[in-house]
Amino acid sequence: MYSHYEFVTGPFAWMAFLIFIFGSIYRFYSLYKLARKKDGAVFEYMDLKFALRSIGHWLTPFGSRSMKLNPSMTVVTFLFHISLFLVPIFVFGHVVLWKENFDISWFTLPNIVADIMTLIVICSCAFFLWRRIKLPEVRYLTTVGDYVILLIVAAPFITGFWAYHQFPGFAAITIIHIISGEIMLIAIPFTKLFHMFTFPFTRGYIGSEFGGIRMAKDW
Amino acid sequence: MNYSSAKPKKLFLNCIISAMKSIVPKGIFLTSLFLIISGTAFSNDCYTINGESLEDNTNTRPFVCFPHDEHNENAGLDDNCARCHHVYTDGQLMPDESSEDSSCSECHMSQEKPNDLDLIVRYHKLCRSCHLEEKKGPITCGECHKKP
Amino acid sequence: MTESNTVTPVKEIDDKGILKGVEQLTPEKIESTILQVLKDETGAKLKVYVDTCVHCAMCSEGCHFFLSMDRDPKYSPAAKVKQTLWEIIKKKGKVSPEFIKNAAVVAFTQCNLCKRCAMYCPFGIDIAYVISVMRRICHKLGVVPLYIQDTAHSHSVSMNQMWVKDDEWIDTLMWQEEEAQEDIENLRIPLDKEGADIFYSVIGPEPKFRAQLIYQAAVIMNAAGENWTMPSMPGWDNSDMCMYIGDYEMMERLKKEHFECAANLRAKRIVMGECGHAFRSVYDMGNRALGWRMPPVEVVHAIEYYNELFENKKIKIKHKFDRPVTLHDPCNIVRGRGLHEMSRNVVRATCETFIEMTPNREHNYCCSAGGGVINCGPPFKNARVASGKEKAQQLLAAKAKGAEVVIAPCHNCHGGLEDIIHSFGVDMELKFLGDIIYEILDLPEKEE
Ligand code: SF4
Ligand code: SF4
Repeated sequence: MYSHYEFVTGPFAWMAFLIFIFGSIYRFYSLYKLARKKDGAVFEYMDLKFALRSIGHWLTPFGSRSMKLNPSMTVVTFLFHISLFLVPIFVFGHVVLWKENFDISWFTLPNIVADIMTLIVICSCAFFLWRRIKLPEVRYLTTVGDYVILLIVAAPFITGFWAYHQFPGFAAITIIHIISGEIMLIAIPFTKLFHMFTFPFTRGYIGSEFGGIRMAKDW
Repeated sequence: MNYSSAKPKKLFLNCIISAMKSIVPKGIFLTSLFLIISGTAFSNDCYTINGESLEDNTNTRPFVCFPHDEHNENAGLDDNCARCHHVYTDGQLMPDESSEDSSCSECHMSQEKPNDLDLIVRYHKLCRSCHLEEKKGPITCGECHKKP
Repeated sequence: MTESNTVTPVKEIDDKGILKGVEQLTPEKIESTILQVLKDETGAKLKVYVDTCVHCAMCSEGCHFFLSMDRDPKYSPAAKVKQTLWEIIKKKGKVSPEFIKNAAVVAFTQCNLCKRCAMYCPFGIDIAYVISVMRRICHKLGVVPLYIQDTAHSHSVSMNQMWVKDDEWIDTLMWQEEEAQEDIENLRIPLDKEGADIFYSVIGPEPKFRAQLIYQAAVIMNAAGENWTMPSMPGWDNSDMCMYIGDYEMMERLKKEHFECAANLRAKRIVMGECGHAFRSVYDMGNRALGWRMPPVEVVHAIEYYNELFENKKIKIKHKFDRPVTLHDPCNIVRGRGLHEMSRNVVRATCETFIEMTPNREHNYCCSAGGGVINCGPPFKNARVASGKEKAQQLLAAKAKGAEVVIAPCHNCHGGLEDIIHSFGVDMELKFLGDIIYEILDLPEKEE
């Protein structure tokens, strides 16, 4: 247990962060290089103003017709993504770790808020799972990888909730929690989770096309 | 305590074993543990670890009960106060001096802008580093910050 | 779970172009062709689109195929990518001829490249682009529906879509000129006039099937007192089926011919008839393929031109069109150029009662004919019309509010809507904006 703890909070944590950071940089760089070589037009039509206009609409709840037609998905998606981002960064237990290791700290979430947000993430994952299984159009597109990703995302939150509430076996679960978080970090550059970084570009590009060339809305 | 048997075997196996141990109701478990191992009666001498300075914070984890005398007895620290109550002068550990008479915050929150976290991480590091070194005692959050 | 198992083969199709094309395929040819296209002709855009898609199916709601086919998951936009490029990329081009057959049917006949789904996907993934890549692969493999391939052949032989011979073209113009002289005495369709303000171009099917549109345009131009011209030489046809089959080399030739034709006559700008796909080819795809960010000669769609006429009061009308109308927003000029407000201006200037169909503007449902789908001809007609069910309901709702006439300022849309109106018993009359303007135009009294 002690050596496992040292491993997952030491070398494995470093590795996870490095893979996450450099893997993401590498993915970006190679896409950028490829785009420069093959999709010169993309740069020609990219327009910051219209890109931001489109991104702005799509980051506003119910800011597009698509979202209005899918209210449940919209509510869940927004709550899910917000919680997914805020909890790991601002939960007190994590900020303490930043403080311990790098002597930096920032705003922390009240426990009750972090707790609710964690539940939101877990329930959202359940909702997404239900959608994947239940809605024919989603099921048709679903691959094994999609379920794995759902698991990768849900695991740190389930184990985190468990550890925080000190349900039976929480000490061991804490270590699994750490590992699952690290797996998620490692997965980001190499799986569909990378969509968090491509979103501004795909949305921005179609926003630029629609705004600058097609003179039409894209939301 | 429940870690003393945990030699680095397979990770998940160990996790499961320690999970099993924790399933035993906490009170009974702790009491019996103390009775068996230390042979002394359970005494509830919680030390407030400069509690006031952290009281207002709703984001922190539950209060830690630190049974000072028992801990030292179990850890064989009776004479070695300076192991925890250390003294640093100009960044140098003074091996022959100890600081039981002053509170931790006197040094560790003496910066210009004192921050609760500064003190908190001192405890974390002090306790955990020793526990890891000795392969004894709690290391994960909930093992110390027990839910009331 | 391999994805190939979940790709259901299409019902037996009866299209010689696809069937014969598939017969000639070998695995090696498929692989090398695909790798060539993927490696040389696509890049980060395709990669990001395919990799970013989170399989959420939010785009489904955007596609009229999906909605019309009772939400059959096979017709959702992302499902069409799954049946084409996902699999191809995953297998690195090692797919079977049978797979290509299905992919060709999907790419050519189950997507109008209308880009509506890009407005429903949270990532703005341009499915139409991905489907175009599939069509490009099919073109290079020689697996293209017969009818649309024939129009492409016509383009490459005659530089127009309908095998119109050079003398037939001039004949048609002179014939329409004569017809139009019934309305305006001494009306001319000036051929090859240098330095005109307007170079008027039409699509190949106009002289072939809808020649009256040419004389209507001539009457409007004359009534407005325009300094205009039409070319007597190839380059008059602004349409482009090569763009839709993925024959981009030919698309470039066609657009070059068209722009050069206007440039040689030193025309100030090109005004084109009420066609959507032709507009896409000069304003979006053809010009870009030739390396022009924007068309090298200004291109004005008929709607924009009509709007100008009314704003500058260049024509007068006798009275407003008195039957209640509704307006269809064609993808290529609305999602392609944002002309929806202008078309409304024109409708309001010409019609007494205007009833919106819902959804409208950028969100209007497609006619199901565009993107070359109608040009794939009879073998796919039933499927095409069936996928107009949602459109039919939308039209019926507008009809229930009182609309009697549907205005569709696009040739493709006309073709598609005509079939939908008949097949679903919608029973509304279909008109171009030009039809309406022509009908109510206040012409100077003709001296007898
Ligand atoms: S028909 Fe239009 S909405 Fe449907 S997939 Fe094609 S581009 Fe998207
Ligand atoms: S909405 Fe976009 S991300 Fe979702 S399945 Fe459709 S194309 Fe993929």
